[in-house]
Amino acid sequence: MSTLKNLWQKKRWIFWLLIVALLCVPPMLKILGIYKIKALYLRYACNIMMYATLAGSLNVINGYSGQTCLGQAGFFAIGAYTCAILSTRLGVSFWVLLPLCGLASGLIGLLVSLPTLRLQGIYLSIVTLGASEIIRIIAQTASITGGAMGIKGIPYPWLFGLDAFRPEYYYFIFLVLGILFLFCTSRILGSRVGRAWISIREDQVAAKSLGVRTSFYKSLNFVYGAFWAGVIGCAYAPFVNFIESSQFTTDKGFDVLAMIVIGGQGTLIGPIIGSTIVTILTESLRFLGVWRYVIYALIIIAMMWLRPQGIAGATNSILAGGKVKRKPQKGKGAKA
Amino acid sequence: MEYVLNQLINGICQGAIYALMAIGYSTIVGVVGMVTFTYGEIMMIGAYGAFYIFLTCGNNILLGLLMSFACSFVLGIAVYKLCYERFFNAPRHISLLCTIGFSMLIKNLAQIVFGPETKSMLNIIPNRIFTLHLGSIAVDFRLLQIVIMLLVVFLALLLTFFFNRTRAGIALRAVSQNKDAAYLVGINVRRTALLGNCIGCGFGGIAGCLLAIYYINFQSYTFGSFSMKAFSASVLGGLVDLRMSALGGLCLGIIENLGITISSATFRDVFAFGFLILMLIIRPQGFAVKKGTRV
Repeated sequence: MSTLKNLWQKKRWIFWLLIVALLCVPPMLKILGIYKIKALYLRYACNIMMYATLAGSLNVINGYSGQTCLGQAGFFAIGAYTCAILSTRLGVSFWVLLPLCGLASGLIGLLVSLPTLRLQGIYLSIVTLGASEIIRIIAQTASITGGAMGIKGIPYPWLFGLDAFRPEYYYFIFLVLGILFLFCTSRILGSRVGRAWISIREDQVAAKSLGVRTSFYKSLNFVYGAFWAGVIGCAYAPFVNFIESSQFTTDKGFDVLAMIVIGGQGTLIGPIIGSTIVTILTESLRFLGVWRYVIYALIIIAMMWLRPQGIAGATNSILAGGKVKRKPQKGKGAKA
Repeated sequence: MEYVLNQLINGICQGAIYALMAIGYSTIVGVVGMVTFTYGEIMMIGAYGAFYIFLTCGNNILLGLLMSFACSFVLGIAVYKLCYERFFNAPRHISLLCTIGFSMLIKNLAQIVFGPETKSMLNIIPNRIFTLHLGSIAVDFRLLQIVIMLLVVFLALLLTFFFNRTRAGIALRAVSQNKDAAYLVGINVRRTALLGNCIGCGFGGIAGCLLAIYYINFQSYTFGSFSMKAFSASVLGGLVDLRMSALGGLCLGIIENLGITISSATFRDVFAFGFLILMLIIRPQGFAVKKGTRV
């Protein structure tokens, strides 16, 4: 047992490799023909990983720098539409498009964050919500995005002669993207930039007084979150093969928000848990129809009442409610 | 020219409804100190309340408006108890997310209770058109538009009277300015905040009813975008200033309607939010003269 603990402390990457290897097992079983897993289940797994990364990108904004972004669906849409347009019209390869869509989305993120730099949190929320809605309306009406008809027949990614149109191949794309996202984000969070984000979340004025350029880091945070939303949008478009504007409503943004609220904000594992819970609930409660949204809503309210930082959220942060901000009471706080 | 003038009239009428929405919204934000995303559902409940009153009791517009006020007032109590009361000292995003959850809850419950189909409001106000001739230009006024504008002005005056002349209204203003100071001079802050929230919600309900009458068709999902317009309008007015919020609503309505005359009607929301974002870049505190509102 102690050797295991020792190993966990010294060579953590072994454990990560083990987890990744375990995640690789289900599609490999299918590919090698050992066990026939239903394609539907693999699609669910793909969905979980996709939403985990998308929620993770929102978590970078909401959970790490404490701004309330409500328009993640807009950035997602930018990525998806950039991918769809460029691949159907110009035939650009999927692998080139991945960073390109991210950059396009990050650029929009920068544009959205600029007006709000001087303002407090709530304005950012409404501007992101408005921007997301504007993006959706433009996608619904412009001719280049196919209008209300959407874009059909987005080509599947292609690598080593393997068409990724089957979910067991697509699984790996989402897996790699998710791991890449987690790796990059954990590196950034450990750096100067990540510390600046967290200090802004905890107390913006204090951060400013210590010399953190809050406007710059807030913008950077926003661009980074939007970048990953765009990348995931780019992977999403070929996965569903058909996109239209109704897939990117603000309700979609709220779904992603629900994931990080339930799973937990301010930790890397939170969005993964949230995405797993919400996706499984969505698929297993499908027979309930509208009632399942009622259940979601109740879960969100209950989470806010009982555990505002989410199931696996950062407990030692301002996200956990008034616990950090509460002034020490006379007598009690002075000694502690 | 004639077309533009007629659109201007439409814009002013729509702006009047937005102004009413924004007044209600600013009342809530000012008194409670937290932003709400349930406003659309509050308007929806108002519209449904009026709809069923008209269905059962006939064309009595006064009764309908009272009913929508009452429905939204009661829903306001629920919003206050669920989303605000516990979170006065917590970070703001918690109550914000709570209102989003509550909005999802009410929206979907309404779809279950009232049915997902589109409801058509009865024709409450006779469809009569007055034409004003200005030289060679003919400007049309619909009776409905005139009634709505007069009603909004009347309600705004009523609220002004309430805020300036009554004891409860003055207490509300005190709470809106500074909660701690209001507490010190012996105002029951929580109860006053509850009252303010419910009055704001009630006005939202009336606005929802007017919207339903104006647009005739509505369903439970219609009001989501209107709640964002209410938010935009009150941001234009600096979030807590009632008069400026009303002005913001009026501007929003006019800009939307003039915007869609030069493009197509699908771009309505683009103009509204584009104007808001532009405004935030140029003058982030809105039209309000006072600075430093903390929300």
